[in-house]
Amino acid sequence: MQRPAPGSPIPTTLADATAAALDAYESLAALGEEVEDEWQYVQDLADAWRSRIVDVADARGDEPLPAPRATAIARVCDEIALIEDPHRAIDWLSTFPQVVLVALGERP
Amino acid sequence: MRFQDAAPDARAVVYAGIQADPLVARSTELLADANAEQRLLARAVMNGETVDAAAWRGMFPTLFDASLSTADIERSEAILAASLAVADRGEQVRSQYRGAIVEALTERLLRRGATGSAAVRRERRILFDGVRAEIHPYDVTVETPGSAAAVDCKWGARGISADVLHQLDDARTHAADEDERLVVALVVFDAERSCSVRLERQTAPHEAIRIIGLESLDALAAPLVPAS
Repeated sequence: MQRPAPGSPIPTTLADATAAALDAYESLAALGEEVEDEWQYVQDLADAWRSRIVDVADARGDEPLPAPRATAIARVCDEIALIEDPHRAIDWLSTFPQVVLVALGERP
Repeated sequence: MRFQDAAPDARAVVYAGIQADPLVARSTELLADANAEQRLLARAVMNGETVDAAAWRGMFPTLFDASLSTADIERSEAILAASLAVADRGEQVRSQYRGAIVEALTERLLRRGATGSAAVRRERRILFDGVRAEIHPYDVTVETPGSAAAVDCKWGARGISADVLHQLDDARTHAADEDERLVVALVVFDAERSCSVRLERQTAPHEAIRIIGLESLDALAAPLVPAS
């Protein structure tokens, strides 16, 4: 899968932000899948956190996003686009959604 | 049930040097009084790619907002600086620092919650009559007559393995065989949601193991072992 280059666009609504985060997350999960022994864990972990983010999008998707929070989403998407090590990707499959949710004003 | 210092092997000697690094003590001191978001910042930075402080401030705007108190912003800045210093050590070494920090933080918080004659110790084995001793010591123990706790520490939910769960649960059941109470816990510097995901497919016994994730670390400062 083609990984997005750093310099992610700044989202303007919460729906845009969650869509961008989920796109970036798919690429991260694909990288984590390269660790064959953890393939199932990667699927389970990604499913669990994806669902949590989708729930937030469903509930608050129409809300505008203040600039600092929108920038945070773009920057953390940039951060995970730098990851090349599949093991680190697995660690970030847990960390990334937590950072995204905090930026959106949610508890992880 | 008896507690015993683990005999130092080559790994332990190397690791002791990391445990003694002032950076571990500094990070531990800061994280002990941090909130959940500041602890998440530390987790992200210590395993991050960029070492650009401004980029991390951008990812955590609510920790560096000008409307916050100076003390809060200074703590976040200090956590960011310490975490970047860990990240800057290189992949293999930073992994050891992260482990040392989680263990030291666990010890520090457990000391806050220790009551009476409880002794909080590191790297201890637990011996039971007629049972072969485990090779790996427990990261932190809380030792009181008649009731104690054994705690292992992990940086991430991925570190939760069948071996770790079996060792903790075996210790608990051996203690029960001797009519002693042993609370067993796993401290994970990661989200409890990720821990739950990891545990879902584990067949090793874990129902009696207390899992303390990133959001609940302050629970360690309440007595883990009830006063006897």
